[in-house]
Amino acid sequence: MRTAKFQMLSLNQQIDLLYADGVYIGKRKLYQYQHVLYQYDTFYVEVVYKKYRVSVNKINYYTSTACLDPYLEQIDAGELIKC
Amino acid sequence: MNQMTKATPPKSIIVYADDDPDDLQLLEQAFTHYSNNIEMVTVSSGFQLLSYLKGLAPFDPLPCLIILDINMPGLNGKEVLLQLRQLERFESIPVVLFTTSSSRQDKEFAGLHNVGFLTKPIDGRQMGIIADQFIDHCSEEVKKNLKDK
Repeated sequence: MRTAKFQMLSLNQQIDLLYADGVYIGKRKLYQYQHVLYQYDTFYVEVVYKKYRVSVNKINYYTSTACLDPYLEQIDAGELIKC
Repeated sequence: MNQMTKATPPKSIIVYADDDPDDLQLLEQAFTHYSNNIEMVTVSSGFQLLSYLKGLAPFDPLPCLIILDINMPGLNGKEVLLQLRQLERFESIPVVLFTTSSSRQDKEFAGLHNVGFLTKPIDGRQMGIIADQFIDHCSEEVKKNLKDK
């Protein structure tokens, strides 16, 4: 499914598809909002919460991997370097 | 004056291990409806969960359900499960893997080890029914007690 088709679905339909087949990438907090990034098919979907896992504020869609950057920055590479 | 007192049956214990404090808090909230009947014990790693269980005295009540996040640093949920199944006292406690993952391999792992598998909710519709989905994995006796109360 392409991003445009996914975006045309209702919010509940998008959430249901993410729940069934989305691949969780990571979570970050920006101001008072929790952001959770999923990969779905060939694109990325970021769920922005007013209330975490309960109330969705908005959904962002990305086709570029640049959206991964703020999530990758959170990874503590210290443990990997130790290995 | 004589007073009749009715002994309150002990609460059923659910132990939940997850390194994400938001998810720990969220699930505690999800079970508030059952707070008269269920005590939720939360720990933030697989090591803590094993330590908690091994620290139970012989006559302490056992949990009616163990909920394991899969992606935890140190010991992940699947590794914790394998260790749990080596401990005779805890081998029959129902376990549910609770995870952000919807991967087929993780589901197959759950099936292979005869444990439940639930994906972490994304919105309030899914969150609203999550406690009941967990309780479905408890023994029939626990489920009956919850219905009767």
